[in-house]
Amino acid sequence: MATCQGPCDPEWVRMDGSSSFIAEYSFTEKASAVLKQGARKSVEGSVYVFFSKYNTFQGLKMLELEHLHLKHVVQLVSALESIVLRSFGPEGGQVLFTRDTGQVMLSRSGKRILSALHLEHPLARMVVECVWKHSTITGDGSKTFVLLLASLLRMIHASATKEPHMSQPYNSTETTEAACARHLADRLLDFALTELDALIALNVLPHGFCVSLEDSTGKTEQSFQTFLLTFFNTRLGNVYCDFFRDLMCELLSHWKIKNDQPSFSIRFLNNNFPALRTQVSGFPVGSSRLIEGQVIHRDFATPCPQVNEQSVKAVVFSGYLQPKLLTAGDVLELGCGNRATEDSSIVHFSSWTGRSLENIIATLQSFGVSVLLCALKQSSAALALATQTGMCLVECVSEEEISLFAQLSGVTPISDCWRICPEDIATLTFCKPILLGAHRYVHVDFHDSEERLNVKPCSLVICAPGEGQTDQYACAFQDAIRMLLTAWEPMHKSNITALMRTFPSNKFTSVHKDNMGDETAYASCSMNLHETCVIEPGCVLPAGGTFEFLLHHGLHQYGHSCSVSVNTSAVVPVSELLANALLSLPRHIYSHNPKSFLQAQTRVMALIPKHSHTLSSNVIQTEGLLEDGKLSLHSCKKGSMALTLLDLGLESVSCKYHLVLAVLQCLTSLLRVNKVLRTHTVLHTKSHKLLNARSESTEDEDEDEVVSL
Amino acid sequence: MDLNGDAEMKVIQAQRERQDKISKLMGDYLLKGYRMLGDSCEVCDTILLQDRQQTNYCVSCQELDSDIDKDNPALNPQAALSQVRERQLAAQSQAVTQVCAGQSSSSQASVPVTQPRPEHCEGAASGGRSFLPPPVVISALSPASTTSLVPIRSLVCPPSSTLQRDLEEAKEVVLTKLRGATVQLQSSASLETSIQLCSLISSCANSLRSLRELSQ
Repeated sequence: MATCQGPCDPEWVRMDGSSSFIAEYSFTEKASAVLKQGARKSVEGSVYVFFSKYNTFQGLKMLELEHLHLKHVVQLVSALESIVLRSFGPEGGQVLFTRDTGQVMLSRSGKRILSALHLEHPLARMVVECVWKHSTITGDGSKTFVLLLASLLRMIHASATKEPHMSQPYNSTETTEAACARHLADRLLDFALTELDALIALNVLPHGFCVSLEDSTGKTEQSFQTFLLTFFNTRLGNVYCDFFRDLMCELLSHWKIKNDQPSFSIRFLNNNFPALRTQVSGFPVGSSRLIEGQVIHRDFATPCPQVNEQSVKAVVFSGYLQPKLLTAGDVLELGCGNRATEDSSIVHFSSWTGRSLENIIATLQSFGVSVLLCALKQSSAALALATQTGMCLVECVSEEEISLFAQLSGVTPISDCWRICPEDIATLTFCKPILLGAHRYVHVDFHDSEERLNVKPCSLVICAPGEGQTDQYACAFQDAIRMLLTAWEPMHKSNITALMRTFPSNKFTSVHKDNMGDETAYASCSMNLHETCVIEPGCVLPAGGTFEFLLHHGLHQYGHSCSVSVNTSAVVPVSELLANALLSLPRHIYSHNPKSFLQAQTRVMALIPKHSHTLSSNVIQTEGLLEDGKLSLHSCKKGSMALTLLDLGLESVSCKYHLVLAVLQCLTSLLRVNKVLRTHTVLHTKSHKLLNARSESTEDEDEDEVVSL
Repeated sequence: MDLNGDAEMKVIQAQRERQDKISKLMGDYLLKGYRMLGDSCEVCDTILLQDRQQTNYCVSCQELDSDIDKDNPALNPQAALSQVRERQLAAQSQAVTQVCAGQSSSSQASVPVTQPRPEHCEGAASGGRSFLPPPVVISALSPASTTSLVPIRSLVCPPSSTLQRDLEEAKEVVLTKLRGATVQLQSSASLETSIQLCSLISSCANSLRSLRELSQ
């Protein structure tokens, strides 16, 4: 028997030898023509016919292909840069977005500003998505991301237009430029992935110091607070930054989970922050506070009797108390076993459900449960019965709040109401309504228990005159938590044997002839560095461009040593490119006053020793200090200088490192695109589909570039 | 080589400044709610923006290139005026050098130079901008200027003897009229005619006075 699919399916059709097969099934005329054309006799005696999608090729021809040029990329990233530049730096302003509905959004965060724009250009959307993803992980640095990306692109564009022809021939100058740019971006990323962390460890880390989360001694506490203050200052302005910094420190101190490493509590806060915060509009900012326990953002569905008991028992349900009678698609089979009595009808069923509900409530009452937290909406009969028996019911509680409740109380939500065990019952200190702003919520608090997290939970209430501002403050808090998580994330040890390759000892002597004796010292201490050199968690630097100046200098030196060893002028040194691009960031910070840019630069450069042998001695000193465990401000060689720079604020080295890597990865993916395919969808007559394609060089000039799907 | 390098640097700098301006304008429009499209302009290859009314807008074609128009005399009256003044200045300096070479001073005052007024240029400029030129204005102005010139000429140029003769003739006529009016005034009986005759006499006296002033 022949099996056949429709005429457009690319399926093999196996036919019997007879040609009467065609008459048995109804095909379209075209299909049958193809069938007759393509019928062949195979070895086994059966005939195979292959239906191809005969209109596919035609469909491809109808799609429009567009080339993307490097200058378009530069232009659109420059446009995004000009938007973000307004809010950048300590002098930056805020952007107010309004909707026709009257909703207002106030922000200084680059991520929110960029996501609020109407962008239909596919590359612009790609950049915004990269910024979004980076900001979701690190919490900060979205504006810096766009600025660094723009300056890198401009430099790559400049060097690509000046570059002599590549070895492979291309169709036009634009494709040559694009290929050159792509190549440069790939080399930059390779460089960053292999050498950058070692360079940072060598050049930047000695000028910073570590702040620990565990210590609550005076100095580290102050540095930690300065670190937070810098963040809140850039995000919220200098009016409320002190207040929010104190609130944040209070929140962190309440949530210190003592058993584990300190980043565990920050991670817990990060995961549960939407459930832990309540936004209240219409109050002054100063009335933001912490309240003990958890706030469930729903009101009681049944009137809550005022009981002054010591403890309240609660159960969490994730299903329905009373089975739903009939929903669309349900089939109700009536009857008791095999006997189909005349009495079985829907009335019996509904009375049975009523009785089961009464039994459930009675069971709960026997356990002493007085509060029910339900994830779904309950039936009116359940509500009525709960009111009658005096049980408090909260319905439609969100998933995040249920999961937080479960973690804090130690119980798991039950789905089957028939099987209630004593382990499923949570003990609460109180469960009462609370009025926050215009809404009434449920406020619960938990007993101290050894089994669950050993912490006194508290919730954050954020007040502000308007909704736009409460959103802004809540986002700032969440981003601060994410930033803390990134800054205190332990980094992997860097392998600096690659760095050793670029500083070979014989080249070193050719550059500095008077330091013959030091090369062995350098070699030996670099071996030691290999074990201990790492970007420690919690390493901070004075803000205001210090990181950029130091890394610029380090990359510059690296570039010098590379050019001495490699000695080819045709190859553009990528370290120089990155170094110059990095310098654009402090330029933007000090754009209102060019003199202060030079002042800042000289101040930071004064920290760096000029001679190479002092560099190696510095390295030994740093290694010694690292062995102690933590750097304290006074024992650090640059301690005095660091103290004077503290008034600028502090920023985390780890966050900056992540930022540079993320920018370079975004850059490579941006420059890999060279074609845009326009497709037609139902909603939009013209929409865009991006292809990541690598253009293959061809000898034949007429052939189009290969597009890989 | 240095010159080439400088010129190249200037070109590169000008291009960079133009690109910076384009980016800034695009950023402004995006913040105002314009939409960045995936297309680029056919003329200048800049990325297109679209406003709320779904009209496409190219930042460089419609805003930046118009900066050059302000120097174009065909499109800007002020530019035209400054161009004419420059030419006049060049012509006058030439005329001054010629005069100093030893020409008579009377030729200087022969034709007073008319300054082209901005209204003239406005008409020409509006013609350049493809509006309907108002030729009536220009033609109305030019006869006025010529008529203003004519009496000056007539006052300066003719000799004094013919003038005196004309004045004497006028005086005679006026006196005759005066005498006739006086005679009629003596014989008139009605009040109305007397008043009219008296006013005739006073106007004759006024004309005589002005004629006398002219002759002096």
